Amino acid sequence: MFELICNVLLFVALGYTYFTHVLEAKVPKSYLKNPNVLHPSVWPKVIIILLLICIAVNIYKIIKKNKGNPEFTFSAFAKNSVAFFKSKMFIGMVVLVIASLVLEPLGFVVTAALIMFCYGMLLGEKKWWRLAIISVVLGIALHIVFSGLLNVNLPRGTVDFLRSFSLFLENLI
Amino acid sequence: MSLGEMFVSGLSAVWGGGTMFLMVIVAIILGTIFGALPGVSATMAVALGLTFTYTMGPVPAIVFLTAIYCSSITGGSITAILFKIPGVPSSAPTTFDGYPMAQRGEAGKALGVALLASAIGGLFSALVMFLLSAPLSRAALAFSNGDMFAITFLGLSILVVLDTKHMLTTIISGLLGLLLACIGQDPMAGVARLTFGQNSLLSGMEMIPVLIGLFAVTEVLKQTNTKKRLSAEDGVGNKGKVNTKMPTVKELLSIKWTLLRCSVVGCVVGILPGAGATIASFMCYTMENKLSKYPEKFGTGIIDGIAASEAANNAATGGAMVPLLCLGIPGGNAAAVMASALALKGVQMGPRLLNVQPEFLSATFITMIITNIVMVIVAIGIAKVFAQILAIPYYYLGPIILLLATIGSFSEGNFVGVTVMVLAGILGIVVKYMHLNSAAIVLGLVLGGMCEKYFSQAFQKAHIVSAEMGAGDYVSKVFGALFGTPIGAVVMTACILLLLSPIYMPLIKKARAKKA
Repeated sequence: MFELICNVLLFVALGYTYFTHVLEAKVPKSYLKNPNVLHPSVWPKVIIILLLICIAVNIYKIIKKNKGNPEFTFSAFAKNSVAFFKSKMFIGMVVLVIASLVLEPLGFVVTAALIMFCYGMLLGEKKWWRLAIISVVLGIALHIVFSGLLNVNLPRGTVDFLRSFSLFLENLI
Repeated sequence: MSLGEMFVSGLSAVWGGGTMFLMVIVAIILGTIFGALPGVSATMAVALGLTFTYTMGPVPAIVFLTAIYCSSITGGSITAILFKIPGVPSSAPTTFDGYPMAQRGEAGKALGVALLASAIGGLFSALVMFLLSAPLSRAALAFSNGDMFAITFLGLSILVVLDTKHMLTTIISGLLGLLLACIGQDPMAGVARLTFGQNSLLSGMEMIPVLIGLFAVTEVLKQTNTKKRLSAEDGVGNKGKVNTKMPTVKELLSIKWTLLRCSVVGCVVGILPGAGATIASFMCYTMENKLSKYPEKFGTGIIDGIAASEAANNAATGGAMVPLLCLGIPGGNAAAVMASALALKGVQMGPRLLNVQPEFLSATFITMIITNIVMVIVAIGIAKVFAQILAIPYYYLGPIILLLATIGSFSEGNFVGVTVMVLAGILGIVVKYMHLNSAAIVLGLVLGGMCEKYFSQAFQKAHIVSAEMGAGDYVSKVFGALFGTPIGAVVMTACILLLLSPIYMPLIKKARAKKA
């Protein structure tokens, strides 16, 4: 059912995109005057049309394949959805989304330690204190190695003391 | 530049005052370890290796990534033989004979054959790449835009046929990749497309975060739900320690034709855009099984099976570099990551590159030679201590992969990159549940820009030609763009036949079944 819903959503989204968002600005008149050139909307529109056809066929195939399947119902889908939202994978996704949001204000060192700790716990580490120490040490070590040694640009954070701490680490080498 | 001069220039690029050579050794060690770790594919290894290349020049970057790529393919055989779990997908056929040998207490011998076969396949393909790339890129200079479009499109078409069980979803995946590549400004008029009002999308979809997300983050997310993870105690042998034994001359002579055939086939498969090491190893294993005098022994633990799989998958690495270096078309996912890394450094891959900067070819060649020799020694060492490496629990390894992925995505100095990486990782999970093909999405994304640019230019030329001939309608222009030259016409016909195969192949099969 999830596959079917995703395909239907994709079909609707592509249809909406076709009519509203293929071109986000007007094509310059000077460009349109040239009869030799391909209109900028042609390529994406052709791809969307082909996609719509293929997805429609795929939807038909999914329905045909699952006819009579007791799992292919909305109630079964709702049950599976609840299980998914309780799964470790979903929590992992939430951890990553949060990490991507706090990266700018907190900087790499803190975010790295957070990812390491939260994901480590999620994956089954029982000794939280050991994981916490490793997370902090690894966050600092990676910042020193990549920013200090390899000159890779890493976020320092917008919070004053965290920024100063990152700068201090970078100047260690 | 003569072949001798190219050889010398390659040596100097890889030596790089000693520092670069050290980096190559580091890359080989990293690649072999990444490859040996189950759940870290060769593409993921290359994507994670990107993190180390941001401050390197373009040539050192490709040298570093090539070393990781080749060694990770070989590293995959270690866990395939000792644990029956291929470190990389292309080592899957190695498990068929490698694991039974390990169970019989011949793990060291199996590893020795795997390493030697990998080295032979890799060296052979490096030589083929070196000899083939320069003339092919010179020939490619004469290709028209229509020809280039057809060749680029061939990569996507081949992918459809290779995944015979899910042809429709593979087509959808490829098209989605092509559509994602349209995001941003169009290559001819510079008009914003599919940006949904987001200025950050004006410069197009950020390739590297998408690749890292799809290959690294998705894999870690998948592992989050896995209950049983690998532990060192699962290994066979003496408390996880294995002493690699190289095959005797007699044994080596008994598999000489297997090594040669699989090196050739693996290299050819690698050259085909879209196909790669995994297809090469499966294809060669099946081929050797059919050609063998004792096919019943395949799968019971014989060195022929290991040699076939390992020679083929490593030969495919050199093959995959040929279309990348000559035409700018990546032969597979790992090559696509390398292409993105070079694009980030402002290097325009394509036929002109090797003529203007032949050091890209010579450096890649020398790297492959060095890697294929050094990795044997490194892998022997790693096999000795593999228990310690695999003793790293996944609750440490998984988050470390995520941290390296975050660094890799942010290294462009853009927070959007990290967001894109996370979204691509989640998208990878959706793609899995929708039975779509992430390799096809990536190939579409990487080739999409090129496809459109070449098609637009071919269309422009076809318009001028058709106007001269007095046929100015739209269809004739499109037809002219696609079939205007002999090469373009042949390749496009092949593409159409491949794409229509899901329709006519079942009909042919039905007709044959009726006859039978």
